[in-house]
Amino acid sequence: MSDGAIEIFIQEAQELLENMEQALLSMEENPEDEDHLNSIFRAAHTIKGTAGVFSFDYVEKFTHVVESVLDNVRQGKLLIDGGLIALLLTSKDHIEVLVDAAAVQQQDPDEKILDYDSQLVSDLEKYLKETGDDISEKSNGNYVLETPNETVGNESDHVEKVVNGKPVASENWHISIRFSVEVLQHGMDPLSFLRYLQSFGEIICTTTILDNLPKYKDINPEHCYLGFEVEFHTDASKEKIEQAFEFVSELSTLQILPPQAKISEYASLIESMDDEHFKLGELLVASGALTQRELDEALKIQNDILLTPPDTDKPRIGEVLVESKNIPKEIVDAAVKKQGSAREKLGSSSKVLRVDADKLDELINQVGELVISGATTNLLAAKIGNEDLLETMSQMSRLVEEIRDSALTLRMVQIGETFNRFKRVIRDVSNELGKNIELQITGGDTELDKTVIEKIGDPLMHLVRNAMDHGIESKEERQASGKSATGVIKLNAYHESGSIVIEVEDDGHGLNREKILEKALLLELISEGQVLSDQEVYRLVLEAGFSTSESVSKLSGRGVGMDVVRRNIEALRGSIDIHSEMGVGSKISIRLPLTLAIIDGFMVGVGESCYVIPLDMVLECIEMDDVNTNANNAEGYLNLRGEVLPFLKLNEVFSEKKLLNTNGNIVVVEFAGYKAGIVVDELLGEFQTVIKPIGKILQNLRGISGATILGTGDVAVILDIPNLVQRMVQESGVGNQSASTANTINNIH
Amino acid sequence: MAKTILIVDDSASLRNVVAIALKGAGYSVLEAADGNEGLKKLDGAKINLIISDVNMPNMDGITMVKEIKKMSSYKFTPIIMLTTEAGAEMKEAGKAAGAKAWVVKPFKPEQMLDAVSKLVSP
Repeated sequence: MSDGAIEIFIQEAQELLENMEQALLSMEENPEDEDHLNSIFRAAHTIKGTAGVFSFDYVEKFTHVVESVLDNVRQGKLLIDGGLIALLLTSKDHIEVLVDAAAVQQQDPDEKILDYDSQLVSDLEKYLKETGDDISEKSNGNYVLETPNETVGNESDHVEKVVNGKPVASENWHISIRFSVEVLQHGMDPLSFLRYLQSFGEIICTTTILDNLPKYKDINPEHCYLGFEVEFHTDASKEKIEQAFEFVSELSTLQILPPQAKISEYASLIESMDDEHFKLGELLVASGALTQRELDEALKIQNDILLTPPDTDKPRIGEVLVESKNIPKEIVDAAVKKQGSAREKLGSSSKVLRVDADKLDELINQVGELVISGATTNLLAAKIGNEDLLETMSQMSRLVEEIRDSALTLRMVQIGETFNRFKRVIRDVSNELGKNIELQITGGDTELDKTVIEKIGDPLMHLVRNAMDHGIESKEERQASGKSATGVIKLNAYHESGSIVIEVEDDGHGLNREKILEKALLLELISEGQVLSDQEVYRLVLEAGFSTSESVSKLSGRGVGMDVVRRNIEALRGSIDIHSEMGVGSKISIRLPLTLAIIDGFMVGVGESCYVIPLDMVLECIEMDDVNTNANNAEGYLNLRGEVLPFLKLNEVFSEKKLLNTNGNIVVVEFAGYKAGIVVDELLGEFQTVIKPIGKILQNLRGISGATILGTGDVAVILDIPNLVQRMVQESGVGNQSASTANTINNIH
Repeated sequence: MAKTILIVDDSASLRNVVAIALKGAGYSVLEAADGNEGLKKLDGAKINLIISDVNMPNMDGITMVKEIKKMSSYKFTPIIMLTTEAGAEMKEAGKAAGAKAWVVKPFKPEQMLDAVSKLVSP
């Protein structure tokens, strides 16, 4: 070796060590700095590499340990701290000493230095052990820690060799290679490859295969007829072994079979891999059980087979691989299994995408604006009356409508999950109460707005608890009244004309009318002698403070927080119905709007203003004919094909001036089983509208649920039909007459 | 006797690095700056392995390999071509010419040593 080269090495090493020291010192102040960490790592790595070139074994060995520690830090497995930096600084000094001994004085370091060496190594190894990373494991074939002289060791040595605490016994790789005849002509010496193998492992046994050897007279001295079966012992990867034969890959057939122990290792490795590999081949390559070349070949075979008989089934890649004997079946099986589970996970994970709720809200808001501006354009187009424009606009309106619907469904969530939460509640509470209660869930796949779902949880919890506590009787009571000992609570959800209905039903003893009345009198909610329908009585339990008194009866508890439930539901523009039958059970239905953001509206004109009626509540429109007008106008109801229909005049309700001289039109609306008529001046047609909340000042106004901006920039008021219907029903007294139908519970003011 | 390796490359620094690595591993090394010089160096010497760049002035690597394959005393000598990452065509051209081994540039000295040791032991 030329002195010049060594000089360069010394100079280079000194520079690197200096850099390393600087970087270490900077890291002391700023341990997070990756640049410094990388430059330290590079320094150690380069010194190790060059020392190897010069065969400065001691330098190389020691630097390798340092590099391993640094590598762990780089990968985040190890946290760098003051102690480690101090140790690395000492190590750097030590490397300097080693380099000095090896390169300058051209001798092996003396004993004192070596003692210090092993002390530092054991200190460094402590850090490695922390990460569970053993350096011997790290030698992926590039650097073998033992000095090369030892590689000649005999076979019996190996039988007892223990790697990573696991005895590997006589577990060897089996390499089977057949060289093609022309390999010699390309300057390739078969023996040199075997020799190369020994640089990272040990050839235990070689069998020369002479099957292809021709008769003596036919032998061409320039041809190679040999093949080898090699038992090879190494810790290196299959990839590494294959690379040994890289240059003869086209000139030979090669098979590398893993040792028996490796098979289960591969299998468990495949088991534990991330789910990012979904193709069988990729999975096997990633685990190291298969090399890319083997995969490529197998894929080629697979395709070739595919080409010849077009009708036959495509052979599976796993079958091709096993067939080609490149890989044991056990590993393929493990990979197939993994692939299945990975697919499953992929399947479920691709179905659900987590999106920030704010982003969704923003999108829906934008879609809302789009709907408005679409409506504006529509109005303009209608005004201009250009046929083509109208055509295009109607197409666009349809698209916007679809976009709106899709955007809204993004917010839709199945209620099933909310329902399922009650399973646990029912189990726990029924144990607590000593009752047998069974939960029956139906309609769990009914979807409703996420915001609604979030807000419905607490009210539902109240209702379910009440049903369990006060609705369902004790076992004894139930048996005495001839019911099964197990009480049933049903949770149900379904869609009904633009609303969603959620029902909580129990088969308990129902509401006790007498006791509610008693209590109501006590709280002065009603006065003595007042005649109330059943529904009106039940409605009382929703009143604030109804349940606060402790002792009236079990029933009193029925109102625990019921006023809170009512307020929550009303905040969602919903309503509550109560059905009850003494001794049979009770059912509480919550009716909620599907979504809170956009509604299909029916626009009507009254006086100078526009009003919007939610379209899903509109049943029909009729003309206010003379008969009707003259008939029972004063009483506030009219005859709709023989039905009693209460009505109100919007212009009176909102004090609008009457501009038109027509009698006007009646929009028949329905809510919760009640029909009512709304008298308006003009019918303006369907109109999609984004609900803009009305400000705080106006929110106590009855009869208005929101407002919207029209294409013209005007504000239209969205009517609160439930409230208006309620008003009419109460004023006209129709509600009392139809006691058999469900009652809408609304505020009693 | 140490095996002799001829390295043909127009970059003196690359030749230097490779030479240092190879010498360190126990090979003896001859250097040439282009194909013409490479062929001249072969004459009369006993060379066990040739490492050659592709792109060189005067005579490029592929032409030189073709020439070498015509020489009776060197037609069975292994040749390592130095190819670049992008030069897949060059690699194929080299293989066609008779250089079955290759090392992709840029390489570390260890990699070169690794490739060499697959073909010739010191």
